[in-house]
Amino acid sequence: MLHSLQLRDFRCFGQTSLHLDGKDAVFIGQNAQGKTSILESICVLLRLQSPRAGTLREMVSFESNEGFFIGGNWSDRQLNFGYGRRLKKLSVDGSTTRKTSDYLGRSGHVVWMGNGDLQLINGRGEGRRRYLDFIGSQIFPDYLSALRCYERATRARNNLLKNMPVPWAQVDAYTLLLVQHGEVLLRRRTELVTLLQPWVADAGSSLSRSTETASIAYQPKAVLGTLARALEESREADARRGQTIVGPHRDELALEIDGHPAGTFGSEGQQRTFALALKLAQARLLAERDDAEKPILLIDDIFGELDVTRRNALLAYLPEDSQKLITTTHLDWAEMERIECDIYDVKAGQLSRHQAS
Amino acid sequence: MPRIAYPEPILRLISGLKSLPGVGPRSAERIAVWMLGGGKEKADAIAQAITEAREGIARCEECGFFLLQENPCPLCSDPERQGDTICVVEQPTDILPIERTGAFTGLYHALGGRLSPLDNVTPQDLRISPLISRVQKRRVSEVILALGSDVEGEATAHYLAGIFREKEGLQVTRLAQGLPAGGGLEHADELTLLRALDGRRGMG
Ligand SMILES: [Zn+2]
Repeated sequence: MLHSLQLRDFRCFGQTSLHLDGKDAVFIGQNAQGKTSILESICVLLRLQSPRAGTLREMVSFESNEGFFIGGNWSDRQLNFGYGRRLKKLSVDGSTTRKTSDYLGRSGHVVWMGNGDLQLINGRGEGRRRYLDFIGSQIFPDYLSALRCYERATRARNNLLKNMPVPWAQVDAYTLLLVQHGEVLLRRRTELVTLLQPWVADAGSSLSRSTETASIAYQPKAVLGTLARALEESREADARRGQTIVGPHRDELALEIDGHPAGTFGSEGQQRTFALALKLAQARLLAERDDAEKPILLIDDIFGELDVTRRNALLAYLPEDSQKLITTTHLDWAEMERIECDIYDVKAGQLSRHQAS
Repeated sequence: MPRIAYPEPILRLISGLKSLPGVGPRSAERIAVWMLGGGKEKADAIAQAITEAREGIARCEECGFFLLQENPCPLCSDPERQGDTICVVEQPTDILPIERTGAFTGLYHALGGRLSPLDNVTPQDLRISPLISRVQKRRVSEVILALGSDVEGEATAHYLAGIFREKEGLQVTRLAQGLPAGGGLEHADELTLLRALDGRRGMG
């Protein structure tokens, strides 16, 4: 539960604080007034990354060229994240944590739902890998460091492969690292998709109220235990292309509706439902895994787009005692019978209690 | 419209200080102002110390450690040290923490960095050929790789292990895990280093 949030120089927010006391909240505002940035700041505080594309540097407000600060009281501890041009500073309860993994280990779990989610279905594989990575980093303690090492080693190896002649002795040194960290990712992603699959099917049928079956399948380029051999076999091709062509950075997550690929076969309505099902599955998986602390649900501007049936089905399926923070441009959709919450207006980077008109 | 700003020489001093490891823009400014005011005499002494260190200090041809005159350094020319074991580190500064454990009696070799294609650091930029010739010259039976546990350190270890793989009678080992991730040896305490040295394993 998030009890309070403090921001300084984060996007359009100067000095801002918010007291939620662990309750649900709705943020109303027109576009570009900062309501999404509120949710984004919470995601950055808890996971040290934005759900939107882009770097932390871009989140520093235009008025400050130094950096930003996000603090928050999560459950029973105070998390602080200061980002500057030269250094990041993380602390839990006032004591600085040097290792990112220590900080993340004491932080909270996050589910982000937004309009961009549709691209999970009809966009490129990269988005689906990011979906898996975002969940994997939250439930497996070894996931994020394996991912970062794998990404860095792949970049270095690709850089070497562009040389003529290829410096194979160096490339091979990186190949060993790709295998070491890549196999961790393969094992964890396999595990993760197995855990997610029943929730996706269940959420899909709850949302569509139909007999359609939504299913996901992990399709790695090289399956668990075979990455070393696959990399060995692709040496020539790697050298020709000047890049590494097999490995977890090329994995796919296949999405199917009744056995047909959702990205090409599904109607837009079916695709939207599938995208929601993926995020709901994430929410339920995180909620069921961790008895002590439920994930926080950051729901960005999607309620206005859904029809009443889907909206109610969605609200019904969200994990019960999870805190929900919702942004919207208008309250027309909300009969609010299911959400007891505080309502705020967001205008030009200012937060205020909503005045009922 | 002209605004008030520091004169050129001060700006150059600030930007010079800012380029030092671990010094941010604010501290650079504070140090520069201190050097011109209250810390004037100390600043002169520091300037002199920098020049003397730059001009008077050389590197040992063998291990790469700092020395004043005699080459090789006292450690490399000590007959008591085991000449058949070489411990490879990234930086000369990594030698001291290992030496402090008292558990290592062989010789050292500082590479002067680690391989990093992303920063344009190639094998030619490091003291890798001198290492190969030392290993050949001295009938070395064990090369211990005490490199950082981040991606670049690990890649450098694999690269060196690959080079020495074919050499008969030579064992390449690495420190056991448990060293601080993502860094050199300077953050490791004595006990951790001792354990890492004791638990060293052969590389495939
Ligand atoms: Zn020496």
